[in-house]
Amino acid sequence: MSPERTENFRRLAWTMAGLAAALGPHLLRMQSWVSAFVIGACAWRLLAERRGWRMPPAFLRGLIAAGVTVGVVIGYSTITGLDGGTALLALMSALKLLETKTARDHTVLIFIGWFLCLAAFLYAQDVATAAWVLSTVWLLAAALFRVSRRGMDGLASGPFRTTGGMLLKAAPVALVLFFFFPRVEGSFWGAPSSERALTGLTDEMSPGDISDLTQNDVVAFRVRFAGNPPPPPLRYWRGPVFSQFDGYTWSRGDVQSFRRPAVAHAGAPVDYTVTLEPTGQNMLFALDMVESWTPGLAGQAWDFGLRTRRAVNAVLQYDARSYPRYRAGDELALSLRNASLRLPPGRNPRSAEFARQLRERTGSDAAYVQEVLEHFREQEFYYTLTPPGLARDSVDDFLFNTRQGFCGHFASAFTSLMRAAGIPARVVAGYQGGDWNPLGGYLIVRQSHAHAWSEVWLPGVGWRRVDPTAAVAPERVERGLEASFAGSEFLPGALARNSPLLWQARMFWDNLNARWNDGVVQFDRATQDALLSDLGFDDPDWRAFAAALGIGLGLAVAGLVAWLALEFRPRRADPATIAYRRFTGRLARRGIENGVGEAPRDFAKRVRRLRPDLGTPALAITETYLRLRYGPAPAAADLRLLRALVTRFRP
Amino acid sequence: MHDWIRRRQGPDGDTVTLRRGRIYILPTGLGLAFGLMLVAMLLGSLNYANNLGLVLTFLLGALGVVAMHACHRNLEALVVKAAGTEPPFAGHAAVFRIALANRGRASRCDLEAVPDAGVGAEASIAGGAEATVEIRVPTRRRGSIVLNRLEIATRFPYGLFRAWAVVHPGLGCLVYPKPAANGPPPPLAPGRAAGGSARRGEDDFAGLKDYHPGDPPRHIAWKAYARAGELLVKEFSGDAEVIPMFDLADAPGADLEARLSVLARWIVDASARGMTFGLRLPGEEIPPEPGESQRRRCLTAIARFEAPAADVA
Repeated sequence: MSPERTENFRRLAWTMAGLAAALGPHLLRMQSWVSAFVIGACAWRLLAERRGWRMPPAFLRGLIAAGVTVGVVIGYSTITGLDGGTALLALMSALKLLETKTARDHTVLIFIGWFLCLAAFLYAQDVATAAWVLSTVWLLAAALFRVSRRGMDGLASGPFRTTGGMLLKAAPVALVLFFFFPRVEGSFWGAPSSERALTGLTDEMSPGDISDLTQNDVVAFRVRFAGNPPPPPLRYWRGPVFSQFDGYTWSRGDVQSFRRPAVAHAGAPVDYTVTLEPTGQNMLFALDMVESWTPGLAGQAWDFGLRTRRAVNAVLQYDARSYPRYRAGDELALSLRNASLRLPPGRNPRSAEFARQLRERTGSDAAYVQEVLEHFREQEFYYTLTPPGLARDSVDDFLFNTRQGFCGHFASAFTSLMRAAGIPARVVAGYQGGDWNPLGGYLIVRQSHAHAWSEVWLPGVGWRRVDPTAAVAPERVERGLEASFAGSEFLPGALARNSPLLWQARMFWDNLNARWNDGVVQFDRATQDALLSDLGFDDPDWRAFAAALGIGLGLAVAGLVAWLALEFRPRRADPATIAYRRFTGRLARRGIENGVGEAPRDFAKRVRRLRPDLGTPALAITETYLRLRYGPAPAAADLRLLRALVTRFRP
Repeated sequence: MHDWIRRRQGPDGDTVTLRRGRIYILPTGLGLAFGLMLVAMLLGSLNYANNLGLVLTFLLGALGVVAMHACHRNLEALVVKAAGTEPPFAGHAAVFRIALANRGRASRCDLEAVPDAGVGAEASIAGGAEATVEIRVPTRRRGSIVLNRLEIATRFPYGLFRAWAVVHPGLGCLVYPKPAANGPPPPLAPGRAAGGSARRGEDDFAGLKDYHPGDPPRHIAWKAYARAGELLVKEFSGDAEVIPMFDLADAPGADLEARLSVLARWIVDASARGMTFGLRLPGEEIPPEPGESQRRRCLTAIARFEAPAADVA
């Protein structure tokens, strides 16, 4: 390849490396045709550059651009949302690759790369994402450096290193801006839409949903307790409550509103702070029974669930207070009673018949509840992570046929049996338990802690939690999922749980993420106000922000200027050169200037021509100087001689 | 703007150190686009209350600030020195040599020397080193041309900002008359006026003498060189060769410039043939000499002869 083509290829390689890193986090998230197109375009361009193929003509590029835009509109149904916008940005970068020639084209690609970095943060803000994206920013800036160089002459260090130095110099300015740039409450044009599919509990539950969820070991939320955490059997985190059953799937149903029954709290409260990972849903999780929470964040529904107005699409932190001992709903309104008894007509007939017969044999509702739990315990029911699929009449199939199920199956069947016997009941989904992180002193609740249980209404007792899973596998509630399946089934994170070292590393990593969430992701106006108060600004207003920002930036920029001045500080000459400069300086004062590019010997000869009287000392000084600078072994005696000669040199 | 800067800075000597007060800096088009991108990212991050988005925005913004200071610093304390010129024939480009000295430890990259007209030059200089760049300025007519204004600029690093300093070197360069395309042959008749004098011709070989620059190459004794490794020149004795004395009065032409062009042609041709020649202008006479320095002396004389005011580049 010609030198020019080699140079073009290297520039392209830098830009594409940066762009690839920026696209990386999106490739799995975007629709597969988008990812395939982007990867294809990158590969084609690299090959084209190597082989010297011609770029596609303008009309073809226009055609492709129109095509992919239509594709995004169809595939994502919008181009303004986060998903559609990101896909469009990725596709445009791929298209730009098909015409990249000038430095300006490269720059456009690098700018798109930076926007893709921002988009990655709109999806996730955890430590790993942050580390990847900030490295990508570095790589993209290095690519910009490389592309903007007018030719690599080997004088500056490599693009990556130089840019690293620049970013290091930029860090103080960036930190000051981060801490003191005033955050605004609310948003200018609406929060990101909730079009994202996230793992977690939803407003529906079919058999198998929760066992699928428990395969996922990602964090649902973290909880920091003000005092001691409640014991494991009390760690029931209420999520969505399902009152409507179609024979197969439980759902919240039509969002019909009932009056929320009164709740009487008793005993000692538990105070805690939850840091919830994005769910894309409108619910918060709280220990039963929640009494108060961060004001204005959510409202409590008639089923005691906390509902937010907007979907939780970013990490959200809230405080709450719960009472593990409570009485809820002494009175049951007729409409709610009816809704809590409704079963789909004609479905699951065998279990309905079984319930009626069993209820007739027992004296009271409370005794019937115990009787059904006994049934689960004594008959051959198996608690398993991988239950077989169920027929359309899922409860009948489970109770009389497969008899293998996960918490969802037990909760569903139990609730059906309650309703069939005339006891108001509903399914509650949420999380049960949590991993205690001893390093950070907080509880990690993962998707694998997802759980489902039942709530029945008994006269004189109100709504009471009954966990049928606990009847079959009490260790699930006492000691967690892994205890119930010890050695028998593969669980996510099992490897880590069985190795103390890995377990510790995992806890360390999680603690890092938790601190990251608290310190960086959740850094908001309230934190800023507290920080400014600590700095001595009482009751911070805009003037405090301006002052902090001004002083901080002034200091940071002064540091930067000093750093640069240090890098560019004058070279200290060696003693011989200093002495020689004194010699040339004296001659310059007499009008004999050392010409640019004039070698010392030539200069001495010129001096001799112009001032024959100075010829001999000038030549002696020059020869001694040259011996010191370029001779094989500079001698201390020579330096003394040079200094003496220069001192005596008086033109 | 140019006048304002000139008044502000005052006249420059041969050596100029670029101090802070004479370095200007503005964002480039790319820098403005970068700024727009940052504003968009800032609004997006604030809107979504996305702290890491803000970290990203602030980091890039701070990188821009660093780039601005680094760009400025890349010029500050740079020493600019006039380092000679190379006179052209009218119509060709005059070459001005500018030495750039980096007295600092860090290297200075992608420096550009940009004249108002003509072709600039680029250089990167390691810490403590010097580089000489050549600026080519087109010329129209003989006489002299002055490099009045020169920008020393840089976009390093990232090309987001352009820092520049203006120096006024006031560096003059002679411009020789353009040699006439096909002038008449010079009058070589001996005895014409007081010019011609007898010199050794090349009829008979007379011996060898040391080579001096300006001796005709075809007289070099190549065999002797191959034997002894010494450059020797054959001498001949015989009929006298005419030593021409180029006289403005002999040069035909419509006006002075045309006649000077003819003189230039004669000088260039004679010099190319290794001849010995002299020049006579009204009020000035250069006695015959051979060699490169004679060529330069004669061309300089006709360039200066009743020269028009210097062109300003």
